Amino acid sequence: MFFHIVMERNMQLHPRHFGRNLRENIVSKLMKDVEGTCSGRHGFVVAITGIENIGKGLIRDGTGFVTFPVKYQCVVFRPFKGEILEAVVTMVNKMGFFAEAGPVQIFVSNHLIPDDMEFQSGDMPNYTTSDGSVKIQKDSEVRLKIIGTRVDATEIFCIGTIKDDFLGVINDPATA
Amino acid sequence: MADDDYNEIDMGYEDEPPEPEIEEGVEEDVENNNTDEIPGETIETDDKEEQEQVEGPHKTSKFMTKYERARILGTRALQISMNAPVMVELEGETDPLEIAMKELRERKIPFTIRRYLPDGSYEDWGVDELIVEDSWKRQVGGD
Repeated sequence: MFFHIVMERNMQLHPRHFGRNLRENIVSKLMKDVEGTCSGRHGFVVAITGIENIGKGLIRDGTGFVTFPVKYQCVVFRPFKGEILEAVVTMVNKMGFFAEAGPVQIFVSNHLIPDDMEFQSGDMPNYTTSDGSVKIQKDSEVRLKIIGTRVDATEIFCIGTIKDDFLGVINDPATA
Repeated sequence: MADDDYNEIDMGYEDEPPEPEIEEGVEEDVENNNTDEIPGETIETDDKEEQEQVEGPHKTSKFMTKYERARILGTRALQISMNAPVMVELEGETDPLEIAMKELRERKIPFTIRRYLPDGSYEDWGVDELIVEDSWKRQVGGD
C-alpha cells in the first residue's frame, strides 16, 4: 500500500554547501540520501513530494558541519499481509517463482501455486496447467496475495500466494 | 547578515567550571565591563532536550565573552577552511582565522549563540548583536 506521510530527518551539511543555496542543497542531498531507501517501519521511500520546513541548524562540535532538522512529505510503499498486488515474475524454478512489485521481492512457493499447475523445466522454466492454457514464466504478470512479510531494518521481503480466487496470471507476454 | 537563521553555535566545554556570578546591573556598565566574568556561556545543546527560551528582553550581558569569541572564531575559521562561502570582501587574506576575524569585525558571522542559564533555560544572541572586545578591553569592530 502507498502512503503519503511526513517524515523528519537530521541532515548534516558540509560547510561548502552554505550560502544562498543552502536550502536547495539540503533538499537535493535529502533526495539523494532518502529516495529509494527502505526502512522496516515505513517501507520503501518512493519519492519526496515536498518540504514542510527546515529547522534551525546546529553546529557540530569540532567538524564545522551543521545539522538541520528537515520535515518532508514523501510517498512510501509498504507491503502488508493480506494485500493483493500485481507483480512481474523474475525467476522461475522448481521451488516456486520470484516476482517483483516495484522495489519489493515476492516469493511464491510451489505449495502456493494451484495444484493443477506443473513445473516444466527447460531453457524457459515455467508453471503450466495440464491443458496448457495458463503459463507462468519469466516476465509474466501475476496477481498475488501477500501472506507473509519479513521486515528487516533495511529490507522487506514477502511471501505470496496465487492459490485463491481471482489470483494468477493477468497478462502473459508469450500469449499476448 | 545573510542566512541569519540557519545555524546556531552550540559547541562547548561541559567540564568548564561555572563562571562566577555577578551582581545585577553590571551589563549596563558599558565602559569598563569585565568580559571575563559573564555568567552566560555557549554550552552543548547537541542531543539534550531543550527547555524553552527565556521570554522577553535579554538578561545576560550584551558583551561577547572571550570564550564565545574564541569558539566563534575557531568554528568559523574551520568552516572557511572547509570551503564555506565567505561573507566579507577579501583584500588578499588567505588565512581562515584572519578571514573569520574580519567577518567578526564586520559582524557578518551567521551564527547565533545559545547561552544556557543555570536553570536550563537559554537566551539566543546573534553574533551581530553582541559587543566584541579584545583581551585588552578595547571594543573591536562594529559601531
